[in-house]
Amino acid sequence: MYSIVSTAIIRGIRSIPISVEADVSDGLPMFEMVGFLASEVKESRERVRTALKNSGFMLPPKRITVNFTPANIRKSGSGFDLPIALAVLASLGHIKGDGLKAVFLIGEVGLNGRLQPVDGVLPMIAEAKERGIGKCIVPAENGREAALVSGMEVYAAGTIREAVDILNGAGKILPKVPYYIEETGKKTVDFSDIGGQKAVKRACEVAVSGMHNLLLIGPPGAGKTMLAGRIPTILPAPNEKEQMEISKIYSVSGLLGGHGGWMRERPFRAPHHTATPQALAGGGGMPKPGEISLAHRGVLFLDELPEFRKETLEILREPMEEKKISLARLGGSCEYPADFMLVAAMNPCKCGYYPDVRKCTCSPAAIEKYIGKISRPLLDRIDICAELPQLGFGELRKNGEEETSAQIRARVQRTLDIQQKRYRNENFCCNSQIPAVRIAEFCSLDSRQEKYMEHMYETLNLTARSYHKILKVARTIADMEQSERIELRHLNEAVCYRSIDKKFWEGRG
Amino acid sequence: MNYAYWLSNIPGIGIRSRNCLLAAAGSAEEVYRLTKQQLLAIHGIGERQACQIAESKNRDYEKAFEALEKRGIGFISREEREFPDRLRNIPDAPYSLYFLGELPGREDMKKKLVAIVGARRCSAYGHAVAEKLGHTLAASGAGVVSGMAQGIDASGHRGALQGGGRTFAVLGSGVDICYPAYSRELYEEIAEHGGVISEYPPGTQPRPGLFPARNRIISGLSDVVVVVEARARSGSLITADYALEQGKDIYAVPGRLYDALSEGCNRLIGQGAGMLFDVGEFLNELKIYGMKHEGTENFKKLLLEKDENLVYSCLSLRPKSLEQVLEETGLTVPEAADILARLIRKQFIAETARNYYIRQI
Repeated sequence: MYSIVSTAIIRGIRSIPISVEADVSDGLPMFEMVGFLASEVKESRERVRTALKNSGFMLPPKRITVNFTPANIRKSGSGFDLPIALAVLASLGHIKGDGLKAVFLIGEVGLNGRLQPVDGVLPMIAEAKERGIGKCIVPAENGREAALVSGMEVYAAGTIREAVDILNGAGKILPKVPYYIEETGKKTVDFSDIGGQKAVKRACEVAVSGMHNLLLIGPPGAGKTMLAGRIPTILPAPNEKEQMEISKIYSVSGLLGGHGGWMRERPFRAPHHTATPQALAGGGGMPKPGEISLAHRGVLFLDELPEFRKETLEILREPMEEKKISLARLGGSCEYPADFMLVAAMNPCKCGYYPDVRKCTCSPAAIEKYIGKISRPLLDRIDICAELPQLGFGELRKNGEEETSAQIRARVQRTLDIQQKRYRNENFCCNSQIPAVRIAEFCSLDSRQEKYMEHMYETLNLTARSYHKILKVARTIADMEQSERIELRHLNEAVCYRSIDKKFWEGRG
Repeated sequence: MNYAYWLSNIPGIGIRSRNCLLAAAGSAEEVYRLTKQQLLAIHGIGERQACQIAESKNRDYEKAFEALEKRGIGFISREEREFPDRLRNIPDAPYSLYFLGELPGREDMKKKLVAIVGARRCSAYGHAVAEKLGHTLAASGAGVVSGMAQGIDASGHRGALQGGGRTFAVLGSGVDICYPAYSRELYEEIAEHGGVISEYPPGTQPRPGLFPARNRIISGLSDVVVVVEARARSGSLITADYALEQGKDIYAVPGRLYDALSEGCNRLIGQGAGMLFDVGEFLNELKIYGMKHEGTENFKKLLLEKDENLVYSCLSLRPKSLEQVLEETGLTVPEAADILARLIRKQFIAETARNYYIRQI
């Protein structure tokens, strides 16, 4: 008897539908599986056979053939056990009528028949729903995640036996999980935790207001990591569509567990500086999202920037332009979204005390070498650079009223709204993305300002690129004040955030 | 054949052997004509040196000398009249010099030459003082001599160039090697408005051992040596020692107690060096006239707006970060950034490193 069930595999964060067919016929007793299978799927045969036996289903001495379609896609992953088992059981007549029709199945089984959770359930179920499938059975541990997709009847099964019972009309539908389940109770971080540091906090706000990438420079222990970790809290709250995008990536990576099944906050990823290019970009025989994709719609924080290997940093160039990364691997190519804000941090020199020459023990050559380790193209993509000076004890002790993240976030939202309105007919949406050829149009200066900037250009040894960055940042500062025109004071502030370049440190200590 | 050039470039013959040869023979040409037996008879010349001298006569020194001239590198020895007289009589006087541009001439000597030396890793204040001093000296007609090292030396040269004066750099490497390499622009400008000088043959790489010795030429060429900033054990103090040995006046810029960068200077003052507490008086003592009178600080302050004055008052001669300025004035970032930019424009303050500010002197 012939039967067919629906399941899926994950490519990137997209799910590709796969059908599993089973047929039981007379002939030499055997269990054959075909359809371009990876080795972990081939192993599924032994797992399923034993699990069925231990669940109380006897496999008759017949010829059992299982086929996976479409046959041109390589099948990988461990989620095929449940579909295979149920397709075989249906062929043997253990499932009533059209119980398997329009049901999505996914799950790994143990030899005792228990179902094990798999990664990537959220995008699979979401995609199945789009295909018009209204019912699904997932392992119990994946139940909450699957139930996030509205309009899907989600059944969670603990064993193969339970799954069969569900298909035969027993079991109860899991209720749709509300987005905002249980407050985790852990204290969230907030900008008001940081005392003082007015200059750098302002720089963060400007950076977020125009989606500019940010570089923080400061001695060890000045609070760079603390500050960077709070930047997601002043980014505008992610909307439902963005939350879904983030959650899908985390689902595919198997990281949703700790987040109550749903990513409500913007992610903050801080890979260590020993990270390999693959760790950052994603990859592996079966590609998994890398750090840049896990930071999608959030903040990618690279602490100790000069310590990162050059090859690792070079990886960032394309995703920062394209907002996504395409990986080609043995098992096929896939694409992960990677729209993140880059926040990098570094010491001003090897010992960390420059420009305090009384403490700094680095020679100018050593300082130049330290800065030279950072990839130029990466620096070119960073618009704002801010220093964190070492705090004196007096400043540490002071506990004045500090602004909360919510207050800052409200202002940021307003500034971003202005930009969205201005660029509604363009293919970019914020000031950091204005292409070089159109800067004159959006960041126009009057003749007096032009003259002033010409003077600055010469005294500060600017390059064309750093000049453009100053204009873009000035545009953001003007937007923060809801000013249509860029004023001189906006330019002056933008100059304070100008990016470092090789010539910069040559200045005088 | 330039015999002096030959004598300066025999492998294995150093300053000491050369002086022995010259003391015995009188001039480079005479040395060239000595036979091996005669050479061996000279006190201080052994078998090895005699062989090397004999061997060197087979080499083509004329071609090398022509190549030197083609590259614009000048050569002068003690035997020539144009050799700076000041260097003839110092202890361990150099036998020959290589130079780009010019050597200090009689005119320069008459107008006074001042050596500005100090720490390589110096403070923003030290930079500013050296530059201002170089500028004032140049504007008053005096020349500046230094070693082109980073820090005080470079600022002294730079100030002199900005003041439109002449300046001379004595290197610890060959004159064709710009060290430190990033001072290329300065190096070329010095060669144009003065000269780059070295006693070492072109191609000599900078080595730590060569630098102390060149300091005797810096002090030897100058009328007076000014130490701007120096740590307790600093190379600048070697220059001061040479100056003392050569009977030159030494001045030091006084600094604060416990300030590591001023320890050397303060110690010099304690030992009897002149204290450079007022540039005007310093110039008077040196009989350098022609300095324009400048307005005092109080007069300058009248030119500032109220908010500018608030920021200016909180700055000092030590760099302060933007954060500190905000802390002390209570201004917001946009306000402070605007005021600081205006003050820089008016040349009341300077930005020494990114977002670190200092009063302009």
